[in-house]
Amino acid sequence: MSTALDIVSPSWLEAHRDAESVVVVDVREERDYEELGHLPGAVNVPADRFRDPSSVVDGKLPTADDFAALLSAAGIERDDTVVAYGDDGGALAARFLLTALVYGHEGRLSLLDGGLEAWRDGEDGSLSTDRPSSDPTPYEAKLRADAPIADRETVEAAVEGDAVVVDTRTAAEYEQSRVPGAVHLDWEDLLEEGRLRNEATLEELLAEHGLTPDERIVLYCNTARRLSHTFVALRHLGYEDVSFYEGSLTDWVRAEAPEWDPVELQAQVRHYADNGGFEAMVDDLGEDVLGRLKLIGLYHQKQRGYFMLRTRSPGGILTAEQARTIGEVADEFARAPEEYGGPDQNPVFGDGYLDVTTRQDVQMHWIEIADVAEIWDRYDAVGLSTMQACGNSVRNVVGCPADGLDPAETVDIQPVVERVSQRFLGDRHYANLPRKFKVSVTGCHEDCARSSIQDLGLTPARKDGRDGFVARVGGGLSDGPRVASDIDLFVEPDRVDDLVAAMADLFADHGSYLDTAVNRLRFLVAEFGPEAFREELESYADFAFEEPDETLTTDYRGDHVGVHEQADGRSYAGLNVPTGRMGGDEFAALAALSDELGGGELRLTPNQNVLVPHLTDDGLERLLEDPLLERYSPDPGPFTRGIVTCTGREFCNYGIIETKNRAIRWARELDDWAEAAGIADDHEAIRIHMSGCSASCAQPQLGDFGLRGEVYRDDYDSGRAADLGLGGDLGNDEFIDWLVGKIPIDDVPGVVKATMLAYDADSEPGESFTEWTRRTSNADLREIVTDGPARDPPAIETEVR
Amino acid sequence: MSGTHEPGVPQRGVKGVGSDPREQDRDVAEAPGKIWFRDLDEAVIEADRCIQCASCVAACPSDSIGIDEDEGRPTLVKMCTGCSRCWDFCPRSGLRYERHLELAREERALEEPATYAARADGEAAAAGQDGGVVTALLAELIEVGELDGAIVAREREDEPLRGEAFLATSREDLLAAGGSIYTQTMGLGRIEALLAEGDLGSDDPELALVGTPCMIQGATALDRYDHDPADPIALTVALMCTRSFEHGRLLSRLESFDVDPAAVETLDIGEGRLRAVDETGETLLEADVDAFDAAGLRGCDECADFVGDAADISVGNVGSDDGYTTAIVRTETGEAAWTRAATALETTAIDRPTALETLADWNRRRAESILPREFDPEASVGITYDAHREAYDGTDREPEPLNPARVHQYEEWC
Repeated sequence: MSTALDIVSPSWLEAHRDAESVVVVDVREERDYEELGHLPGAVNVPADRFRDPSSVVDGKLPTADDFAALLSAAGIERDDTVVAYGDDGGALAARFLLTALVYGHEGRLSLLDGGLEAWRDGEDGSLSTDRPSSDPTPYEAKLRADAPIADRETVEAAVEGDAVVVDTRTAAEYEQSRVPGAVHLDWEDLLEEGRLRNEATLEELLAEHGLTPDERIVLYCNTARRLSHTFVALRHLGYEDVSFYEGSLTDWVRAEAPEWDPVELQAQVRHYADNGGFEAMVDDLGEDVLGRLKLIGLYHQKQRGYFMLRTRSPGGILTAEQARTIGEVADEFARAPEEYGGPDQNPVFGDGYLDVTTRQDVQMHWIEIADVAEIWDRYDAVGLSTMQACGNSVRNVVGCPADGLDPAETVDIQPVVERVSQRFLGDRHYANLPRKFKVSVTGCHEDCARSSIQDLGLTPARKDGRDGFVARVGGGLSDGPRVASDIDLFVEPDRVDDLVAAMADLFADHGSYLDTAVNRLRFLVAEFGPEAFREELESYADFAFEEPDETLTTDYRGDHVGVHEQADGRSYAGLNVPTGRMGGDEFAALAALSDELGGGELRLTPNQNVLVPHLTDDGLERLLEDPLLERYSPDPGPFTRGIVTCTGREFCNYGIIETKNRAIRWARELDDWAEAAGIADDHEAIRIHMSGCSASCAQPQLGDFGLRGEVYRDDYDSGRAADLGLGGDLGNDEFIDWLVGKIPIDDVPGVVKATMLAYDADSEPGESFTEWTRRTSNADLREIVTDGPARDPPAIETEVR
Repeated sequence: MSGTHEPGVPQRGVKGVGSDPREQDRDVAEAPGKIWFRDLDEAVIEADRCIQCASCVAACPSDSIGIDEDEGRPTLVKMCTGCSRCWDFCPRSGLRYERHLELAREERALEEPATYAARADGEAAAAGQDGGVVTALLAELIEVGELDGAIVAREREDEPLRGEAFLATSREDLLAAGGSIYTQTMGLGRIEALLAEGDLGSDDPELALVGTPCMIQGATALDRYDHDPADPIALTVALMCTRSFEHGRLLSRLESFDVDPAAVETLDIGEGRLRAVDETGETLLEADVDAFDAAGLRGCDECADFVGDAADISVGNVGSDDGYTTAIVRTETGEAAWTRAATALETTAIDRPTALETLADWNRRRAESILPREFDPEASVGITYDAHREAYDGTDREPEPLNPARVHQYEEWC
């Protein structure tokens, strides 16, 4: 590489800046450049224009075209000498030079030592607020073949002894976690009062770190800013073989750091159970341990010192023994302290309850660190785990709740679910993906594990007479919902775990560990495009990709409530658990019933319900007579049957509205109303999905009525509210549109009633609720919704625009 | 019409400006009126209109908005839940501050606000600026047990001329923090943290909040809606203000006059002049304050509330003789505090000084000429996102695309 890259002094610049081929570039913000003044004649290329973090796939470099356009507009020629400066110690100016180097600039590239401040202290020191006029140049940028960019493999090889890896971040960052074997050299150590130290000092310093000009050197930091300065300095000192890693190494760092290892973390936390509990843990490990505890299934509640504990249940299948253990643990440990109301903590459920979730997990609250060792011991004894139930790993695999029961099933998914679950459990690397990774497997023809909202959703398909699955990728809800893309990929059941691993590897390599706005897998799918994503995925897989001959999904099943016949002639009872919440003692009792009357098994469903399978006729009859089924009925009213909520404000730091009790109260009230209004029998289920905030934990986009917590405010008043959408229908890959914002929360039941009455009056024979909402214009729907409730004053305005 | 509480049509796809990759592929139309922190970020912070009052930080119910130490501005530190409160309470976006001032006047102001020329005796007079009235008032109120403490500004130890929020709980604390700071401290957003760090020995502390008029707008607006963050605030004191400085630009400006910021002991602004004085009392610089325009927060140009009309008490140096403070006592709370602290102050009731009126008028005219939206004290207190865009788009104050490179990358999600 021939381009000269060095550091020049203000006096050099004074002497040379009038030369025609010298262009001075100011990388500060435009306003600073304009109003505070800049070196006379300097052009402005603000750093935020040549650093492009919005691309997930390509690191922080801008595209060649974008960079060329910037330099063209600045009037720079390819063979100009460019001198860059800023006011941040030189990192961003160095970054500019490095970018120019990578894109094939031919002229000399120089960093102004000390930046703006040194210039001001110099002999001339003048500033100007005039923008120099320059004609656009035909600048062309092209990534040079020998660009000093290290890829991940280069870094890995360097770690193996191939080169010296240098961490240019601060000592604190380095101490916290680092690439194995990396040498620490804070980029600012090369500076003294903002200026480059003298060469003798630098050489000594570098030699102390084992950095000599004959070494191969690979630099890294976090966002490729600080390393740029060190890069320029090393080249200035005559180091030739220097390269830099463009992306973030957070993934790797985590994969190597013990504190991000779920197994070690669990061992650490166990230790504190008997040695000082929460306070000792936080004192020793720091507050940020609270974030990492998600790796082992513990979410810190908004009540300090207490946790939500999430237990995995792969495919939603629990043995009676496991279910009983979970119920007993909830009954014993999910107890609220007196200061939060003790046994009266929750007005409906008291305390000691648990929640069945939409990913077939079980959650309970008020868990203390002091109790986790005992809980984990009991779990270990029956084969339960909380590890990686939360956090950025392969989450609990969702499966058809009626797996092995449904007469019309193509693939038995249980072994698949088990294998995927086991493969990634306790694995440090897969426990620290850029973000969570959600997988579901469906074996029946009714997509009951909801493939369209998973990062990877598998539904039955056939190829050359072989049964297997077709893959959909990149689905999800949260704050940017996306329906998963069918990538026309057939996978055999015993290849599924390989596919998940390939996808997780791709995710770790390409996904953003830094940009939190874009780090779910669906952004990668969107950026690659489904076809290119499939190609990329194939390069990670150790098997050749095939297309399915036929896919076998025919229908969509909303829930499994009610009594259903199994393939073997026995029955399963789908019990409705409104909002998924039940007492720990009740859950244990249900486990006992399944042991006594069924096959000793419980299933959890993505609707927050519970199935009791393998019931003989006699067993079924006895189950139906049990008093427990009065509350958890196989034949509930339509609103009770359809209600789904997240945890809500009761425990969640983010929840804007309380959800569970409110929803249960509403469901009961609305069922009574529906009965009285004579519409109850027209509907099996009316699905209200209520999330406490915009995070979509209750999957509001799938409901007949989707609700999302909000607040409203007018001139005199403010209060809790909800956004409302209508007509989610996963069977047709339809999410709701958010129709109306900020409906005061107490008005919602009235809105629901008005909408149901309008549907009743307006729908055509056989037209479903979702069909009706699709047919009716949003303007009409909004009128129905906003005319309904009477509120005094101010009423919601109906403004149809 | 009820401000932010207004249904409209759902919008397919992109609402904000720029190209947030989150919105490349949306399969759900957004609710009308839905506001994310990102919208505030683009309309206010990226658009270089943020006045660093920290109302958004205080308003956020999930504590998702923190303060970027380097830039001294709000930034997302946790997941945003889309509740819109940051927008609703931002005087540069969702809070129509002139309406809020009007409502505050209607609901809280005395029939006849009283104006005083005042000064403290003794130490406080020397420590504070122009008469030490705030120092003396607060010290007295703390000592007689009316207040548990006061959120004030003091100069940071590590950076010259940069203010930081400080919870003063004694006369000594207040004396140490005396003197004006011309950069924002985001004190409104730090109350909870300061209370947690401090040791007030009270579960229900009563504090004074001393700050710029915009900070008081945010604090009193939160209080009007009974939002928790305002609970500890028992007294608001506004420091009359035409604009705050952005710290980095202020230093840079001083350096351009060959003044070493580290040598500056105090910085005073009065009668259109800025004066920098070193610790021996020698004047390092006296310049027309207009020369420091470039160092100012651009968002301050949109403010017509020079006096701080939402506060219980406003203080400033305009219209009183040297060594005296002009104080306006506006509410019953302010009156009670003023009376309670009377022994510590030497006060003379005066008419509202002409100089103050003149400056306030000038300030209002400037704001009205620069404010892209209509200045309308009668309109609804809330300004919707759409209304904001309608008024600001196409001006030099329009929303700027969010640059993820400048956004704090948080690691906390649900």
